[in-house]
Amino acid sequence: MTLPAAQLTGISKRFNAVVANDGVDLVLRRGTVHAVMGENGAGKSTLMSILFGLLSPDAGQILIAGRPQVFTSPLDAIAAGLGMVHQHFKLFDSLSVAANVVYGAEPRRAGLFDRRAAEARVRELGERYGLQIDPRARVSSLSVGERQRVEILKALHRDATILILDEPTAVLTPGEVTTLFAVIRRAADAGTTVVLVTHKINEVLTVSDEVTVLRDGRVTGHFLTGETSSAQLVHAMTGREVRPVSNPGLGSPGATVLQVRDAGVVDAGITRVRSVSFAVRAGEIVGIAGVSGNGQHELVEAILGTRPTQSGTVELLGADVTRWTVRDRRLRGVAVIPEDRRGEGSAIGMSITENLALGHHRTAPIGAERGIRRGWISVRAARAEARALIAGYDVRTAGEQQSVGSLSGGNAQKVVIARELSHNAPLLIAEQPTQGVDVGAIEAIHGRLLDYRAGGGAILLVSHEISELLALADRILVMLDGALVAEFSRADATTAGIGAAMAGLAAQNLPNGSRP
Amino acid sequence: MHVFELSFVAAVLLAATPVLFASLAGAISAQVGVFNIALEGQMLWGAFAAVAASYYTGNPWAGVLAAVVSTAVFALVLAVGAARWKADPIVIAIGSNLFALGITGFLMGVLFDVSGSFSPRGLVGLPKMQWLHDVPVLGAVFGGQTALVPLALVLIVVVGLWLLFTPHGLRLRGVGEHPEAAASLGINVPGYQFWVTIAAGALCGFAGAQLSLGNVTVFTENMTAGRGWIAVAAVMLVAGRPLWLPLACLGFGAAEALGFRLQGVGAPQQLTDAAPYLITILVLVLTRIRIPRRTKASLTA
Amino acid sequence: MSDSRASWRAHPAARLVDAAARHPAVVPLAAVAVAVLIGGVIIAAAGLDPVTAYAAVLAGALDPDTLDYTFSVWGFICGMALVAAIPLRMGEFNLGGNGQLVLGGLAAALVAGQSGLPPLVAVPVALLAAAVLAGGFGALSAPLSTRFGIPIIISTLLLSPIAVAVVSYLVRFRIGEAGAAVAQTERFPEGARMWAIGDLSYTNVGLLVVIGLMVAFWLVDSRTAVGFELRVVGANRRFGAYGGVRVGRLAFGAMAASGAVAGVVGAIITLSSPYRLIDGALLSPGYTFAGLAAALLAGGRPALIPVTAILFTVLQVGGAAMERSADVPRQLSDVLQGVVIVVLALRTVIDSRRSGESGAR
Repeated sequence: MTLPAAQLTGISKRFNAVVANDGVDLVLRRGTVHAVMGENGAGKSTLMSILFGLLSPDAGQILIAGRPQVFTSPLDAIAAGLGMVHQHFKLFDSLSVAANVVYGAEPRRAGLFDRRAAEARVRELGERYGLQIDPRARVSSLSVGERQRVEILKALHRDATILILDEPTAVLTPGEVTTLFAVIRRAADAGTTVVLVTHKINEVLTVSDEVTVLRDGRVTGHFLTGETSSAQLVHAMTGREVRPVSNPGLGSPGATVLQVRDAGVVDAGITRVRSVSFAVRAGEIVGIAGVSGNGQHELVEAILGTRPTQSGTVELLGADVTRWTVRDRRLRGVAVIPEDRRGEGSAIGMSITENLALGHHRTAPIGAERGIRRGWISVRAARAEARALIAGYDVRTAGEQQSVGSLSGGNAQKVVIARELSHNAPLLIAEQPTQGVDVGAIEAIHGRLLDYRAGGGAILLVSHEISELLALADRILVMLDGALVAEFSRADATTAGIGAAMAGLAAQNLPNGSRP
Repeated sequence: MHVFELSFVAAVLLAATPVLFASLAGAISAQVGVFNIALEGQMLWGAFAAVAASYYTGNPWAGVLAAVVSTAVFALVLAVGAARWKADPIVIAIGSNLFALGITGFLMGVLFDVSGSFSPRGLVGLPKMQWLHDVPVLGAVFGGQTALVPLALVLIVVVGLWLLFTPHGLRLRGVGEHPEAAASLGINVPGYQFWVTIAAGALCGFAGAQLSLGNVTVFTENMTAGRGWIAVAAVMLVAGRPLWLPLACLGFGAAEALGFRLQGVGAPQQLTDAAPYLITILVLVLTRIRIPRRTKASLTA
Repeated sequence: MSDSRASWRAHPAARLVDAAARHPAVVPLAAVAVAVLIGGVIIAAAGLDPVTAYAAVLAGALDPDTLDYTFSVWGFICGMALVAAIPLRMGEFNLGGNGQLVLGGLAAALVAGQSGLPPLVAVPVALLAAAVLAGGFGALSAPLSTRFGIPIIISTLLLSPIAVAVVSYLVRFRIGEAGAAVAQTERFPEGARMWAIGDLSYTNVGLLVVIGLMVAFWLVDSRTAVGFELRVVGANRRFGAYGGVRVGRLAFGAMAASGAVAGVVGAIITLSSPYRLIDGALLSPGYTFAGLAAALLAGGRPALIPVTAILFTVLQVGGAAMERSADVPRQLSDVLQGVVIVVLALRTVIDSRRSGESGAR
């Protein structure tokens, strides 16, 4: 059978001025693993949303098994045999695995929901594709890797012949990635067509049969995996050879700025951070590696004070701030670039000036700490400050009174980074500072972090990009299931070593007291 | 005061029934993720529609029908606004409650040329289930009640079980918990929200009819007097488990029934009026204190 | 379809229309227009003449002979609009204005009823007592929300009838005038009445107090750190908490301030003619929800409140006149208030459709 499973021709989609897809062609051959590659913003997600019926294209045609299709909703796509595992899982936490898998296509008996049949179906699919999971478990009790299996089972339950996986490995440990790839192979061998959306070259080379590369909304390369190389893929993705990561010297650590001792965080009965201890000194970048969801974010929240600790202490510049409010900690000297820039790091309905002013509004020049102006705000000073930061950080905007929501993602992110860096706080916490940023901006941000360190700042860098940590951090701590399980100095840190620790395969150089 | 008399149970049930209907309306709205605080106004409209229709037709069941249908139509504002157009359900509800208060008073003046309250001769209330009188226990509890009283209890159980054991119930629960997830599986989320909000309106119609043709046979301006808010509190109390609603609402009914009895022995009406609210607030606070402790204990055990 | 719309948009005249449609005054004005229209339909459907009715409303509200009264009502509605607007700025609803209003009236009556206070002391002390009592009561909702997770909108609604019942009980049985047919306190002594302005019988210094409160709110909102934090939390609560705003404390302050303003309004009404606390009299005009409607119509913006309050004042004062002269029940005012609020809520639709066109990824 030579008819492709799916054929997309001339797909175009624009959002106002932004061209997300421009005449994209994609041919998915039956029973193959087809990687769709590209950097952030290259148009992969838009293309997949169109294929899955979440967006309708401005132009172009979709053929599924030779038949033209117009999807007005994912329902149409599902009916045509497509299934999609989104990057952010779409699961019902309070329901069981079986209920999640069959939701919307439930087996029935006498008009009632047939729970037994649903559970049997999950077991049967699990055995067929190597996706073992307890059908009765509540999703809220599952690990990230298990949740992903539920997502895949959902698609398989609906007899998907084309399975789209959107950045499936971003949330997995290396061990789980191996398992996933085995599942992918098994599904492809059974005749399912798998689309793997990713920007990681080694994954593409490991598991795919074919690769289509996107850049700026266009196809810039199509290869058979066996006939291509990583250099060729990089060139197609970026249009240039990527320079090797700059390797700046080590910092020169001074006095301790942050000292965390035995910190524990419990959220809704689940332990997120267990007995974590470490220190960050002035003039040092300490990295925290780990698959996302292993307690890094909760640890950051505990240091900033937006989340209470159940045990242990947090010391900032020698003072025990464990019971302090966020405001007092910030005044003492901590700034945070949060992971969720849009939801936590900004108010998109407010102006750039107002977004930049938060946290600076009680100190000169915008506010005043004492005297007759205490508690008052100078709007003029706030606007002047905003203009200076907009210029200094190259925020592209029509003016400082524009709303942050009107900015592009990258520029909105610069507003957050500008605000936090301009505190010149002794401690800077940067969570995934380069996530969702284009290559040029990554270099700029890395440069700023290194300057910050050179100026005597202490930086806690949380990232799930091992390469980023290797490029910047003086020391790297690995977090797994809420605990620090390994520490590497720059000298003996390797991708393999850190990856193994992230997966729980090795524990070395344990910092004192980080084990429960 | 004989709290454990069956007549007291009957009084509690009577007081609780309008709130039962309304809280079921609120609970199903909550299940699909619509914060429904329009219950108060919808119930008031239902009470008015029931009295008006019963008065014109001479048949109280026509009143019930009119209340249910017209309140479902009344709920269109919330259904279209919140489910279809994604407008703020709180603001819509505040507006529609005010509208209900105004329009019922307005129509009372225009149609019946009275203000304050309307209870003409010839206004027929709902019949009581006298035929139950000889049945032990049931007779004492339900014999003096309208058929809507047991209906409220039955509906809660049916809806509660339907949510748990049918495909549509499963889908409905998913819609409220994670609308994007439901939508990604082809579930028409606004559709569920729309029809559930309409159904909630119909339930508020029952609540109003029971209030104005069952509990009493009169319509008075603002006669719901905060029962819709008690229902909202009851919804919060059961936190997504509709089968527990009777417990929450009977607490309110008990407070009101007890109030009547206390008035009978000379307690001022103003203070007994406040009792249901005070009890509702206290119960909300008390349950909020206990829940975290319990979950903590069960998880660390 | 999207193509044709795009080309339509490119037309210069269409752009002008588009720009005009985005002016911030359009939405409130449209809401009012729609409400008036719907009200007209309702009046007509009831077999009455909308034009006569509305003319009666305007004539009643703007009658030069009673303009004094109209102004005093405008002051009360502005005050209650402030009560709604302060928490609205941080995204919270205070629907317990009635309870806070009567507690203010109670505190004022208790202070004013004490004979022997010198006139210059009695009124300020009464206002202060009202602010403290009602402010404290309003502030209760903040810990109920932060500690126990009971939304402020719910707790204010549940607490309000308790206060109303207690005050009603006290007026009827404890502090009321003995032997009176109506549950009311005795007339306050001359020295404990709201200071008059000239020989006006309704409008008095209380109006100036309310105007002062509005100016204060405007200053706090636009020029102070607290006002800024209030707006930040209203725009994105997580952002506020992350930025160091003490959200719980802010909610406490906002609810206390909101309740205090309600208390002051209650005190002003009570200390004005007829200089008694009368059971139910503070609530029957419905200032709380008229104020809420005015605040919503103003989008919580302090500078617009005096303007939007005019509309609801006209409805309130003119409604009674309409009932008298055009035989249209005064409850039409409530109907129109409700319609204005609903139309305002639905405006988000227009907004989101617009932003959906321009802001999608």
